[in-house]
Amino acid sequence: MRVEKKKKAALYFALCAILFLFLLFPETVLRAESDEKEERQVTLRVCNWEEYIDLGGWDEEDTIDLDSGDIIGVNSMIEDFTDWYYENYGIRVKVEYSTFGTNEDLYNMLTLGDTYDLVCPSEYMIMKLMTEDRLVPLSDDFFDVSDKNNYYINGVSPYIHSIFENNEIQGKPWSDYAAGYMWGITGIVYNPALVSTEDASSWKILNNPAYYRQITIKDNVRDSYFAAVGAVKSELLTSREFLESPDYQKNLEREMNDTSEETIAEVQEYLQDVKNNAYSFETDSGKADMVTGKVAANYQWSGDSVYTLDQADEDDFPLSFAVPEESTNIYFDGWVMLKSGIDSDEAKQHAAEAFINFNSRADNVIRNMNYIGYTSVISGGEDRRIFEYADWCYGAEEDERDTSDYDLGYFFSEDGDDGKEYIITAPSDQVYRQLFSQYPSEEAMSRAALMVCFDEEQTQAINQMWINVRCYNIHDVPVWVWIVAAIGFGILISAGCRKALEKRKS
Amino acid sequence: MYKNIFSRKSLGIPYLLFLLLFVLLPLFVLIYYAFTNGQGEFTVLNLTGFFTDPNTLGTLCYSFGIAAVTTVVCLLLAYPAAYILAISKLPAKSIIIMLFVMPMWINFSLRITALKEILTWMEGRLAYHPFFNTVLGMSYDFLPFMILPIYTTISKLDGALLEAARDLGAGELQAFLKVTLPLSLPGILSGVSMVFLPAMTNYVVLDMLYNSTYIMGSLIGSYFAAYNWNGGSMIALILLGIVCLFTLMTRGIEEENTRGGALL
Repeated sequence: MRVEKKKKAALYFALCAILFLFLLFPETVLRAESDEKEERQVTLRVCNWEEYIDLGGWDEEDTIDLDSGDIIGVNSMIEDFTDWYYENYGIRVKVEYSTFGTNEDLYNMLTLGDTYDLVCPSEYMIMKLMTEDRLVPLSDDFFDVSDKNNYYINGVSPYIHSIFENNEIQGKPWSDYAAGYMWGITGIVYNPALVSTEDASSWKILNNPAYYRQITIKDNVRDSYFAAVGAVKSELLTSREFLESPDYQKNLEREMNDTSEETIAEVQEYLQDVKNNAYSFETDSGKADMVTGKVAANYQWSGDSVYTLDQADEDDFPLSFAVPEESTNIYFDGWVMLKSGIDSDEAKQHAAEAFINFNSRADNVIRNMNYIGYTSVISGGEDRRIFEYADWCYGAEEDERDTSDYDLGYFFSEDGDDGKEYIITAPSDQVYRQLFSQYPSEEAMSRAALMVCFDEEQTQAINQMWINVRCYNIHDVPVWVWIVAAIGFGILISAGCRKALEKRKS
Repeated sequence: MYKNIFSRKSLGIPYLLFLLLFVLLPLFVLIYYAFTNGQGEFTVLNLTGFFTDPNTLGTLCYSFGIAAVTTVVCLLLAYPAAYILAISKLPAKSIIIMLFVMPMWINFSLRITALKEILTWMEGRLAYHPFFNTVLGMSYDFLPFMILPIYTTISKLDGALLEAARDLGAGELQAFLKVTLPLSLPGILSGVSMVFLPAMTNYVVLDMLYNSTYIMGSLIGSYFAAYNWNGGSMIALILLGIVCLFTLMTRGIEEENTRGGALL
């Protein structure tokens, strides 16, 4: 009888365990049987930033009516890719799409053993993954310009491509492993009614007492570090001697990536000052607070700036964007394939590369850009639709009087197309507004610097600096707090003692 | 044959599995990380580091301060309200209690966002008073957790005891101080532990109300963002230790008190 009871309990236990496992990992349990049925199906696990691809479902009125034809996002980009891939290659691809919040989150997810085939981190995380030998290089076929389906290599802006080719890590250029997706620079979104353009054009605005408690800053150590270096080295970076040096670009990048002890100490002091002067460090509220007028200026990425300015325009609340004189941080998000996911599966790698290419086709680039507000690295090559889209967005109406010419040749012109011009005639204020955020001027780009991936020692020093800034130091606890705490503690102890004594008496 | 399969003991098995998978296992992982370094070797440096770093200690103090002030504010607001409610003979009592609990049914971040707008309207720039705003936000969030246990203990209080106190000559105030207050102590203590402990780590309120100083929760987050899982785990473990200590202490007082109550 006892034995039987035990058996039953064991049976019940096993049932529960199976149910639990099934709830936890339904895919694993189910896959065991469904694997053999469909042979020609590839599963592609993609992990991208949140809200970073067109999910479709546009209204009719959202249609982008270019001269060359209408563009509208009906289905999500992922569905469209699946159909396109089946039509072109005859293979059903199942995209498992997930998202991440920060580069660090993604890295932690990978360390914990999550497997993805294709991910889209920022440039410094790409460098880190490259250094750790976790990436699969892009295949030679991906760079074959004769294949018309290779939209990436045929469409990527030469300006961006040269950056990907000229920056090396451990002797290998980025372009071997990474294909760009979106890019941008950092700057200041400001309310021109409250902040002068001159003030907004320096990183020193962050601790400017004239804007006491009116500015929000990104709550993120790398962005804060860059801005602080720009501010503490402001004099050097804007000196004539420095600007006119033939090695300006090289020197600029060296200065902006300086992690010497003195610089870190200066940055810490500066950021402490900023913390006491600014509205706050923000993770998510910056855009909304700019639009509602809670703050007068906000440190922002150019892609977010486009969105913020658009939102504010809807309320007839004009905002502007400025790129500080000292330097601006050019950043990229790019597609890379992971060794742990691809695992030398050629079909998978082909699908992953096709996914990049599909997202680089001009109409899809426009859909993504329109949906998320960021700027694609694709200029379109022979396909002029992306430039046409920029003109459609920002070009002046015919009856507009006050217009300026805005030259985007640096981004759009190709080696082969001499004579073609890429000039947008835009309303004059666009020179400081959305157009400037979406495609910064060549002049602003001249002071753009990449922020490298710091090594472990540097990262640790910078993180420590950041914690020093953000934490309340125990030495700062005022004396009266200690006294109050001691009195409170004394009362508690004495009450406890009295209780104990009373108990003993009774 | 299957009559005994749902015996009382085996009904506990689903929870046992849950406990093993989601409580004990993570705890062991936490302890493992807390006492190892990046290479997986045993170390106590994380522990000693915590108690020698002015930043972590300062953050502990700051969190403690926020939690203590929040608890006091909640207690001062909640006790009179709960007391009046419990002794009153209002017919609409249950509706008033529902009004107190209702905020808990509304999404937390929505409530704090609303509070943010109200405070902005009142103060202008929120950033001038980060500590005050944080305490206000947390009190707003945790108040129901203080009211409910106090209300329950007071309303369950034996009226005969109060009558006895009056018969023996105690005035209104004296009866309250000598009978009601000591007997409602268990309610106060469970309220305090439900407010104090979450207030030490709830960094979402700080973020949303523009307080740029870290509390324990945000400090752990920053360690993980810097890939320092070991240091972060150690802070979490120490917090767990503080929580355990606190619970043991309050339970000690509570037990003593109920024993005293039985004697009375």
